[in-house]
Amino acid sequence: MGASFSHLGLSNDVVSSVVSLPSSNTGKKSSSKSKNLQRWTSSGLSTPRDSEHYTDLDDDWDSNVENCLTSVNSQPKFIENKPTFEYPLIRKISSGVKSSTDDGALALYAPHILQEEESHKELEEMNAKLSRYHRFKHLVEESTVDMDKLKKMAWNGIPSELRPISWQLLVGYLPTNSNRREAQLHRKRQEYLGLIEQEFTKEKDAQTWHQIEIDIPRTNPRIKLYGFKSTQRSLERILYLWAVRHPASGYVQGINDLATPFYQTFLSAYIKDETDVTQFDPSTLPKDSIDAIEADTFWCLTKLLEGIQDNYIHAQPGIIRQVNELKDLVRRIDTELSNHLDDENVEFIQFSFRWMNCLLMREISMESTIRMWDTYLSEPNGFSEFHVYVCAAYLVKWSDELKKMDFQAIMMFLQDPPTKNWTEKDVELLLSEAFIWQSLYKNATAHLRG
Amino acid sequence: MADMEDYAYDYDYLLKIVLIGDSGVGKSNLLSRFTRNGFNLDSKSTIGVEFATKTLEVDGKKLKAQIWDTAGQERYRAITSAYYRGAMGALIVYDITKPETYENVSKWLKELKDHADDNLVVELVGNKSDLEHLRGVPTEEAKHFAAENQLLFTETSALNADNVDLSFEQVAKAIYNMVKKNQLDLSDYSGAKPPTGQTISLTPTPGAESNKHKSNCC
Repeated sequence: MGASFSHLGLSNDVVSSVVSLPSSNTGKKSSSKSKNLQRWTSSGLSTPRDSEHYTDLDDDWDSNVENCLTSVNSQPKFIENKPTFEYPLIRKISSGVKSSTDDGALALYAPHILQEEESHKELEEMNAKLSRYHRFKHLVEESTVDMDKLKKMAWNGIPSELRPISWQLLVGYLPTNSNRREAQLHRKRQEYLGLIEQEFTKEKDAQTWHQIEIDIPRTNPRIKLYGFKSTQRSLERILYLWAVRHPASGYVQGINDLATPFYQTFLSAYIKDETDVTQFDPSTLPKDSIDAIEADTFWCLTKLLEGIQDNYIHAQPGIIRQVNELKDLVRRIDTELSNHLDDENVEFIQFSFRWMNCLLMREISMESTIRMWDTYLSEPNGFSEFHVYVCAAYLVKWSDELKKMDFQAIMMFLQDPPTKNWTEKDVELLLSEAFIWQSLYKNATAHLRG
Repeated sequence: MADMEDYAYDYDYLLKIVLIGDSGVGKSNLLSRFTRNGFNLDSKSTIGVEFATKTLEVDGKKLKAQIWDTAGQERYRAITSAYYRGAMGALIVYDITKPETYENVSKWLKELKDHADDNLVVELVGNKSDLEHLRGVPTEEAKHFAAENQLLFTETSALNADNVDLSFEQVAKAIYNMVKKNQLDLSDYSGAKPPTGQTISLTPTPGAESNKHKSNCC
């Protein structure tokens, strides 16, 4: 179904090329001519390895490039965007773990962190986290990223510092070959600006623009970041451009939600360590940076929506299909619950339409969503297929409660489920449950259906 | 979960009412004002449908209004129109400051005509009456249109609660009166049977449809 509509949209040019890099490693490799890339560095990018210099970023930038160029076969070395306070802390605590890259950072962070007695378990957890971080970092720094390995690791969650580059690799926006990234990234960002110029200098499609304008202030209204004018203008441009280039779908409510995990994640690469991205006003960034974040968000959103465009075309067949799959799945996983819902005349479309349309973003927090997307982006069809298994796991989680409820109580419960404060652990449990259901039922044939 | 106490046999009639109208006119806030006396300045757009209930008393009878709030964007109509079936009342909401949302009322009327029952009680609701200084739709004009099309009419403010209860109540009363007049005895389906929510055929489930069919016969 999806393929049959692709010719209606204008997405072919979008699909055609594997796109390029937003990540800081381009910056490290690039010549100092590039102002844009300098800004990358000067806006808070540094590496723990060199973080003893990181108060003076412009100075260490050149040396960084030298280091990188000489150390790894002249390949640009990926340098994570920002050592947030978490990782330095972990690094310090786990200083017993041998790491070639973190020595510089050790000197910088206060030794008093360790003064408080950490429990053995916490230490172990942190060590595990740290060593995972380094393995992850190593993986994305390779001159040709091993995508199978990356997917395997990313499935279990991506360290936040490495998320921007990892997502862009996983979504297919960044080439796996680091040599190709800079040029492609440059091209893709220019292309975006060109398209914006083209669309925003002619008369706008009034209906599309109107709907986007209504929805922008209603996008994550409780997260401060989305109240800033700069954020809103960026999202407006991204959504409008996507809509006019995909006329078979156009802008559909809910797509605004889907743009935000990308936007927020890519923005986080440009801000200082200790700053909470959800509180950050992007207007304080240079225009080049904002343009880059916007372009990267646009292309990644485009990639994501390619996989689920049937969700948003007329009559939303993709969603209908997923709702039906969910119903079948729940019948097999939890017959009692399925029967109870039937008895109460609860229809799956009544409560799960939104789950499909907004990928559960209305049910869980932004933080949880972002963690969930690490896994979705690592699955072959994360957003269109694996998501259904996640929804099934999500529903049967409440089976005991739901089976005691009548129609009305079920509807009220499911439209406002108690999962807004879910932690990463809750999401990870959900994802592993979904994984089990997928392994059990994905290739199950129709005769197995209850 | 505002009305846990409603789960059991505590009403005489269950009335399904749908809330429709253009995106951004304030449907969800009308509903939250009516059912929870709440207003969200920072609410998100409605996706699919949302559901809430409130029990009213008319002529000593308890009428439980089961209200389905729908998404306003056109793309969703193919989906949401499924929810019209079995509805006994509809509020078509527009924004008094946005004439285009008023102009679209005829589109919404047609939607109902195509997808809902014929004897549906329909009310035209001009919301955001607190924004009088920005008014773009004259009250008289809307009132006239309503009369011409045999619609009930109110102007409301979900923000300051003006006329919100009234707008829902007059729909519920009109449904009740119509039911009485048509001797459509809903109590067969609500009071006498455990109310499993959909008992009165208020949604397009096959089971419910057959119930409804029965009700039309007698």
